[in-house]
Parts: sequence; C-alpha cells; structure tokens
Amino acid sequence: MKIRGDIIRTYQSIHTWTGIIAGLVLFIGFYAGSLTLFKPAIQQWATPSTQKLQQLELEQLNSLVQQAVKGFDKAKQGFILDFYANSSPMKWYEKGGGRGLRLDDELVHASLNQQGEIVTYQAQENELASLIDQLHRTAGIIGKVGHDDLGVLILGIAAALYFLAIISGVIFLLPTLVKSFFALRTDKSTRRFWLDSHNLVGMISLPFHIIIALSAFVFAFHDPIYDGLSVAYGDKPLFERRASSTQVYDINKLPEIQQYLKKIREVAPDYELERLTFTKLSKANPSLAIELQASDQMMRGGYSDVVYMHPYTMEIEYSSVFNEDSGAYGPIVSSFFSLHFGNYAGTFGRWIYFLLGLSGAFLFYSGNLLWIEKRRVKQPEQKTSCRVIAALTVGVCLGSVLGVVVSMLASKWIYLYLQQANSYYLYCYYSTFFLAIVYCLRRGPAVGAIHVLRALSLTCFAIPLTSLLSLSLTAPGTTQLFNYADYTIDLMALLFAGGFYFCARKTRVRALTGEKNSVWAMNNSRQAEPVSVTELNTATPVNSVVPANYASSTATERSS
Amino acid sequence: MSQLTAEDIIQPHWWEKSLVGLFLGLTLSYLLVGLFAWYGPGGIDAEFKVQFNMWMVSPLWLSIVAFTFMFKTAGQAFRTLFFLNSVAFGVFVFLRWVI
Repeated sequence: MKIRGDIIRTYQSIHTWTGIIAGLVLFIGFYAGSLTLFKPAIQQWATPSTQKLQQLELEQLNSLVQQAVKGFDKAKQGFILDFYANSSPMKWYEKGGGRGLRLDDELVHASLNQQGEIVTYQAQENELASLIDQLHRTAGIIGKVGHDDLGVLILGIAAALYFLAIISGVIFLLPTLVKSFFALRTDKSTRRFWLDSHNLVGMISLPFHIIIALSAFVFAFHDPIYDGLSVAYGDKPLFERRASSTQVYDINKLPEIQQYLKKIREVAPDYELERLTFTKLSKANPSLAIELQASDQMMRGGYSDVVYMHPYTMEIEYSSVFNEDSGAYGPIVSSFFSLHFGNYAGTFGRWIYFLLGLSGAFLFYSGNLLWIEKRRVKQPEQKTSCRVIAALTVGVCLGSVLGVVVSMLASKWIYLYLQQANSYYLYCYYSTFFLAIVYCLRRGPAVGAIHVLRALSLTCFAIPLTSLLSLSLTAPGTTQLFNYADYTIDLMALLFAGGFYFCARKTRVRALTGEKNSVWAMNNSRQAEPVSVTELNTATPVNSVVPANYASSTATERSS
Repeated sequence: MSQLTAEDIIQPHWWEKSLVGLFLGLTLSYLLVGLFAWYGPGGIDAEFKVQFNMWMVSPLWLSIVAFTFMFKTAGQAFRTLFFLNSVAFGVFVFLRWVI
C-alpha cells in the first residue's frame, strides 16, 4: 500500500511525541491492570486466614442475619453476605464503608459456631488488591481534583494521546505492513529487533489497544461528557430521577434471605450469586446490591453483573442482567465495560487479557527504547535528553513493578507483627519507586537497569519462599497465619523471578559487549560516574561504609 | 510521490491543527451524537441509550482529532470542520425546532 511521504512523516511525528509523553504512565496502567484482572485472587492471597470465619450453609444464613441485626447496631445499618467458599459468610463495617478506597475501614466478620450462636471477629480489611487496582487507575499519582482522582484524569489524557499514537502508528506502518508484519529480524541490528517486535505486538493486539484507549478515556471523563451531552438533550433530562421516598422500614420486616435467593434465581437463572450488599437499611433509601457472576457473559462490573433491589419491597430498580426484552443499547454499553475488564471468557479469558496487558506495557517500554535509539549519536557521551529518558524509562517502569513486588513480599511479614498492613504497602511502594528512579538517574540507565532487574528477580523469588515459610508461621496467640490452597500467585512470582533474571543478564551482556556509543553501554563515559559519586559522598560523610560499598561494586563491574 | 510540489505537501501546523481538531471536533461529535440520540434507532427515550450516546462521543472526537493532521493547512482544517459543524448544526436545529 502506497501512502504519501509527507503523510507518513506527519504521523510518525505524532506517534513519536504522543508515545514519549504518555508512555511511562501508560506502562504503569497496563502492568498494574494485568494484575488487577486477578484482584479477588490477590486479596484472597494477602488476607491472613485468621481473618476469615467459617462459611455456612445457605439455610443457616437467616439465623445469622437475625442474630446480627439484633445484637449489633452497625449491622442494623447494613451488612454484606458473601457466598465465596473461602470468605466469611457475613460482614459489616464497624468503620468506613461505601464507595471508594479507604485504608482504615474496619470490618466485622460474623459466622455461627457449632451451637448456632453468632461469633464475630473485627479486623481491618486487606487492601493490597485494591491498591494495585488504584495504581492501575491512577498510575500512583496522588491528589484530587474536585471529587475525581488527579491520576485518573492524567491517565485519561494519556489514553487520548495513546489513541492518537495507535492511529498514527498504523498509518505510518501501512506501507511496509505486508512486508514486515511477521518479520522479526534478529540478525540485523538491535534496533531492528526492537522495532520489529514493537510493530508485531502492536499490530497483533491492535483491537485490544483501541478498546482500552477509548474506554480508559471514557472512564476518566464520563461526567464532563455527560454534561456536554445534556446540551443536545435540551429540556430532556439525561437520567430520570427516582421518586424519593420518606418511608422508613423496620429492620425486623426484612424478608428472609431465602426469599431473595428465590427471586434472584428467577431474574438471573444462569448466574452464580456472589454477594449481597445491604445498605442504609434504617434510612428512607435502603438498597440491596446483588453481585452475580457468569463466566460466559459480558458483565458490566469488573467481576460481576449487578442487580439493585429495594431490600424491603424486593422491587428491582436496576439490572445489568439482560434478557430478550432489554433492547440493544444496554447490552452494547455493558460490552464496552466488559471488553475493558476482560471478564467474558472465564479464567482463560483473564489470562489472555493478562498477556495482552503485559504486551501493552512492553509496547510503551520498547517505544521509549526506540525513541532513544533513534537519537543515538556516534560518540560515547549521548545527549542529555536521551540519558534522562533512558534513566526514567528504566526507573519509572521497573521501579513501579519493584514497588508492587516489594509490597507483596512485605505483606506476610507485616502480618506477623501487626494487625493491618495497608498503610505499610504505601510506604513500601512509594519508597521503592522513588529510590529506583533516583538510583537510575544517578547511576545511569545501564547500571540502573541491571541492578533494578536483579532486585526484581530476587524479590520475586522471595515471594514463594515467604509463602512456604508462612505455612509454618504463627501469629502470637493464634493458629496458622496463612493457609490456602491456591499457589498460582507464588508460581507466577517464581516464573517472573526467572524472567527478570534473564533480562538482567541480557542487559548486562549488552552493556559490556554491545554497541559502545549508546546509553546502554556501561564501560566508557559511565566510568566517570563513580568518581563523582564518591566525591558527593565524601562531601557529606553520613556513613563511611557507603562510599566503600560504591567503590567495591563499581570496581567489580569494571573488571568483569 | 516525486510530483508533489512544495504547495501540496502537508504543513505541520501542530498547535493550530490540534486546537481545530479538539474544539471543532468536539462540537461536531456532539452534533452527530445529538442527531443519533433524537433520530437514531429507538428515539430519545430508548432504555440505556443515553449511556450508549455518551460512549459514542469520544471515539468520534478522538478520530476527528487524529485525522485533522491529514489536512494540508490548519486553515483548510478549520474551514472544512467549520463547514461540517454548520451543516450538522443546521440539520439538528431544523429537525428539532422547525418541523
């Protein structure tokens, strides 16, 4: 296919600059999104077994609910019934609750003992999985604009740039598409190899990327878009307001749980019930959210469809479970969400999305590498812009992954000594993240990449080790702290430990024996660095051991 | 390709084209979605249609922004998009309030 040269040049510029602006935050969004696909599994993995009470038979639930609302004030306001095999049957918020992420929510877990009496246990909810989700949506950028997260808005803008990058990338690839689509030239140059794999991965996952870019943009900006749309609607309201009621119901009039189950089976016969969330039970606007799951349906929520019901009258107020009479628009809108969440093909589909998400992260990483390579000059000292982008690419991308992995590793150790881990995850993540960036800027991209990759490999390797250890660990005064049957996360950590080790080796080989005139070379201009580091350290002699360490580590690098 | 003269070649005009695409692209997207909202299948009251309409604004908008850079000059981009906006606006006003 022939395309005019000036068009190609125009779109090449667009691709380059949108990519380099948005690439780093999108990398975080993508790899964290891959993890978020397994949010329930991660939460399960991170929550100590001691914080779970015995799951019950469906027939016992009613007795549990009645005892809870009689004996506990907070349970009267609202409660959650969980139907997962390995979660507590009933919970309510002693503190917090409602939408949004808070790290200090206190949950009371409730179940029945052998005599049929209620037993409770209060604990802070583990938010590791929610924090990874938050990282996925905000790239870890803290702050609020109005009631929106600043990070979400920034990622929304990044998603728009990303859409432009996709369109422009396709346009300027079209002329050589047929010739070079499946070409993966390893024999020519390193740059050629990175370029071919960037193109190959991009083209293969093109539909996925278009969906993700557009849906992420809409997720970030739906409110202002609705505001604009209301102009076209004129006097017509966008959404019909539900008539507000003043009637307050008596908690004792709450129907039996079995009645809800019967009604749900009628409404959604093909779905499996996951969770019932009762809220505002003693107010005029009580609500029941029913989360339902099917592995072969396009679901509106991340992990479930949802039906809203009036908890006392059992009247259905909203449902994302559609039938033949629902019309076309509901299911289409649901599909937009579902295509982003990757929830329509069970666990297998999630693994495919996991790989697609990681390949997306690879696109941004390799895109940055290509940007640097294109600006390479034939001399040992590269341009400052290239050195900084290279150090940031390595520091931000790998540093963010390291932050998450360190938090995951620390999780079980924290629970050994403390009741809650949530705030410590933040310390772990942000300190690791910024340390990695500073380290890469300071030591240069080549050394930085090798060391951070080694740290990643080691940390990943330590995660399954910790899990093995934790099987024999006991918290003071309690039984076994962690006890679970699913080792997928630990196995994946082991796999990634190997992967990062391989990358570290490859990077080191390139740094020592590859092209000398490159930001990735270690043994020429970078040699000057240790001297300046030592000078800095002697200028501020905080700890005399530090310069010695620096000196010895750099010495081994140079000699090897 | 060699027969392209200097006048035929696309002028970058990055900022101007971006602004034209962002503003006139947005209004055009809203007009098209507005037309679809009132006169597309199901009419204005179809269930869940407002959500569908909201979803349609961004793909249209961002696509227009992406293809604005195909115009030779920012001026040409402005004139074309302004014309399309006027037509869409005319049709919208005509359908909504005249008949």
